[in-house]
Amino acid sequence: MHELIEELKIKIIETLNLIDVSPADIDVNDQLVGGDLGLDSIDVLELVMMLEKDYGVIIDTKELGIEVFASVTALANHVFHHRSETNV
Amino acid sequence: MNNPRIFITAMGIISPLGRGLGETLVSIKQAERAVKSLHLFPTTQNPLPVGEIDLRDATTDMPRTHILAMAAADEAMRDIKEPPDAVIIGVTTGGMTLTEDLLRKGETDPGCYRLHATNTIAEAIAGRFGCRGPVLTVSTACSSGAAALKIAAELLRTGQARHVLAGGADALCRLTYYGFHALQLVDPAGARPFDRKRRGMTVGEGAAMLLLSASATPPPDALAEYLGGGLSCDAYHPAAPHPDGEGALRAMQEALSDAGLSAGEIDYIQLHGTGTADNDRAEARAIRDLFGDLPLPRLSSLKGAHGHALAAAGAMGAVTSILAMRYGFIPANVGFTEADPLLNLVPIQQSQQAPVKKVLVNAFGFGGNNAVLAFGDLSGHVSSVASPAYKPKAPFFVYGRSGLSCAGDLEETLTRLQVGEPFPGIVANENILKPLSEKAVRRLKRLARMVLSLAVSACGEKPEREAPRSVFLGTGWGSLSETHDFLQKLFTSGERFTSPTDFIGSVHNAPTGQAAIHFQATGPNITMTGGDCTFEQALYCADLLVRDDPILLVGADEYHATLSPLFDASLAQTGIPADGGGALYLSRHPSGASCQVTVPVVAFAGDEISRIPEMISALGGVARIRERFGLILAGIPWAQQEKGKAQLENFRTLTDFPRPVVDYRRFLGEFTSVSALAAVLAVRMVEAERIPDVFCQDGSPALAGRGILILGLGHHVTALEVNPC
Repeated sequence: MHELIEELKIKIIETLNLIDVSPADIDVNDQLVGGDLGLDSIDVLELVMMLEKDYGVIIDTKELGIEVFASVTALANHVFHHRSETNV
Repeated sequence: MNNPRIFITAMGIISPLGRGLGETLVSIKQAERAVKSLHLFPTTQNPLPVGEIDLRDATTDMPRTHILAMAAADEAMRDIKEPPDAVIIGVTTGGMTLTEDLLRKGETDPGCYRLHATNTIAEAIAGRFGCRGPVLTVSTACSSGAAALKIAAELLRTGQARHVLAGGADALCRLTYYGFHALQLVDPAGARPFDRKRRGMTVGEGAAMLLLSASATPPPDALAEYLGGGLSCDAYHPAAPHPDGEGALRAMQEALSDAGLSAGEIDYIQLHGTGTADNDRAEARAIRDLFGDLPLPRLSSLKGAHGHALAAAGAMGAVTSILAMRYGFIPANVGFTEADPLLNLVPIQQSQQAPVKKVLVNAFGFGGNNAVLAFGDLSGHVSSVASPAYKPKAPFFVYGRSGLSCAGDLEETLTRLQVGEPFPGIVANENILKPLSEKAVRRLKRLARMVLSLAVSACGEKPEREAPRSVFLGTGWGSLSETHDFLQKLFTSGERFTSPTDFIGSVHNAPTGQAAIHFQATGPNITMTGGDCTFEQALYCADLLVRDDPILLVGADEYHATLSPLFDASLAQTGIPADGGGALYLSRHPSGASCQVTVPVVAFAGDEISRIPEMISALGGVARIRERFGLILAGIPWAQQEKGKAQLENFRTLTDFPRPVVDYRRFLGEFTSVSALAAVLAVRMVEAERIPDVFCQDGSPALAGRGILILGLGHHVTALEVNPC
C-alpha cells in the first residue's frame, strides 16, 4: 500500500503539472480537492482519466468521485481494491 | 435620426430536426426527438446519443461545417438579390471533422487542410453571395452564433450597413464528441433539460443564418424584429457556469435594457438548457432572479429535441423562436418528464398554440461567455426606452501596451526592428512566463499563457486605473497545443483516453476566459478567428460593442511544430516558424493617454484586386493620407503575395505616398495575428515620435505629429490607424 501511495503521489504531480510540489509535500490524509494543492473539478476529471488508463479503475459518478478523491489514502484504497491487473 | 429598427427579413436553418424552415417547423410542433446514436465515425465503445444530420447525399468535398453553414445561408438568401453588406458567422469547429481524418492518416500536404480555419466558412458564404464588406468570424464557444447576431445588429445601428447575413454553424467531430464525454457532461440517455434525472447534454450539429436589415418601418418581407442583445462574461471558471447564474442574469438584463423591454413583457424564453446539472441549475436561478415575484413566461429548451449544436445554438434558437412567434406556438422542452424540486422551474412539456410577441433567446458557453437576444413580432413594438440617435463613438485611447516576439518584450522587439533585418522566430518560454506565476498557469499551454502574459504586461498586474471590463482577442488558430495534444492522446489510445483539461483549453476563447477571470472582466468577452486580419476584426468588434468601459485588446498566435505548417499557408511556404502578439489597454477617454487607435476599414476583397479606391476614400482621401501619416506598415501574407502586392502598388499609385512604406511581415515573420505586434510597435513609435532610422532612406525619422497607418492586404483589406492624441 505504501508503494502505491507514493506512486499515486507522483502520478498526481505529473498528471496535473503541479509546480513546486514534491511527493513529500502531499499529506496523504489531507483533503485532496479544494485543499492546499489547489485542485478543482477539472483536475479530478484529469485524474479520473489517469486512473482508467493506468489502473483500469473507472469512476463515472460524482458521488463515487467525492468518496475516492477525498484524500490520497482514500484514493489508494480504492485503486488497491479495484485495479485490473491487465492495466498495471 | 433615431436608431434604425432592425428586422429579420430572411432566414435558414438545418438541424437534426430537418432541412429548412418547413421541416423544422413540423418537427418542433410535433415535439420530435431527433437524438440518436452516433453514426458519423466509428467508436470503440458504445456510441453515445448525438444530434446528427444525415449528409450522405452531399455532393461536395467541403468539410461538414461548411456544408451545414452553406445550406442555411442558401435558404436564407434564396429570394435575396442584393449581396449582404457584411457576413458575420459564429463557429468553433471549422473544418475539424475533416482535419481529424487527415491528421489520423498522417496527411502532410497543407493544401488538404486549406478549409480547416474557422474563417473559411464566412469567406465561402461571402464569396457565394458577393459580399464585399466586413466578413467576420466569431468564436466564443457555445454563444458564438448569438454573439455574431448581436455584432451584426450593432453594425446596422451605426448605419454603415443595411443588410447583414449573420448566424452560426458547427459540425459533429471527435474533438467535441469525446471532449464533452471526457468532462462527464454527456447524458447516456440523451439530453433531458431541466429534468430531475438529467445527466448531461447531447452533442449536436447544425447551422442557422439570418438576414438582418435596417429600416425605419417593417419591410414587406420582414419576419420579426430584432429588439436588442446582451453580452456578458461570468469571469468565474473556464468551463462551468457561475453557480448563481450571475453572468446569465446580467446578459438577460442587458438584452432587455438594450431592447427597451421589461421582464414582464416577455412571453417566451428559449433557454440555453443543455441538460447538464450545472447549466440548468445556474440558468434556472438566473431566470428566477430576473423575474422575482413576477410570473414566469413560458420556457423551453430545444436541446433535448436536436442536441446542442454549440456555435450554432444561439442562431438556431433565434430562428426557432421566430418560427414560434410567426406560427403562434410554444415549442416543447423535449426530454423533460419530471420536475426538479431544486430548480423551481418547469418548462413547457407539450408544444402548445399560444400567441408569442416578445421572446428572449439564451446562449451560454465555455469561458463563462453569455449572449442573450430579444426579438419581437411585427405587431408594432414601441420601445419603452427612447432609443437614442446613433452617435459616432470616440476613438480608443491607449493606456497600456505590450508585445511578445522572438526578440523578447515590446522594447526588445523595437530595438531589434531598428537593426533593419528580418527576425522571424518564436517567443521564448521564459519571456512568456516573465510576468506570470507558473503555478497559476499550470493548466494553460502556450497560447493562453501568451495572451495572459501580454494582458498582464499591457494592463499592469494591478491596473492603476479601472481594470478592463471587456476583453477582445484576435487569433488565427486558437490554442493549437491543446487541440493537438487532445487529438494525439485520443488517437494513440485507440479513442479511449483524452485530456479534459486539453479539451477545455482547446476552445478558441479559452485564453480570453482566463483573462476575464484574471481581471474580473464581466463585460463582453469576444474572440475573433478571422484569419490574417483577425486582430483588426477584434478591434472592429470592440468598437461596435463598447461604449465607455476600458477594454483589453489582444492579438496572438502560437507556433505549433506539427499543426502550424499544415494550417497556415504563409508559414508553410516560408518554412520559418514564427509567433507572438501584442496587447493594448484601451479606453474611450483621452485624458492621460499616449495615443489613439481606430480601424476605419475591414473589408473582404474576395477575388478582386481592387478594393483600394474604397479604402482610400474611407481613410478620408488622398490628401489626408499624405498629410496624416509618417509611415505605412503594410501586411501582406506570404501566401497572398500576388494579390497583396498588386493592392499595395495600387495604393501607392493612387496616393503617391511621400514617406516610407514597410512590409512588416518580412521583419516579424508569418503568423496570423502579426498585425497586433505591428500595431503595438506603431504605438511605441508614435509615443516616441520617431520611426526607426533604417526605414528612412532620405527623409527624417521624426514623425512630427504624424501617425502610422497599418494596412492589411490580400483576401481582406484592412486599415488601422495609430495617431497622436
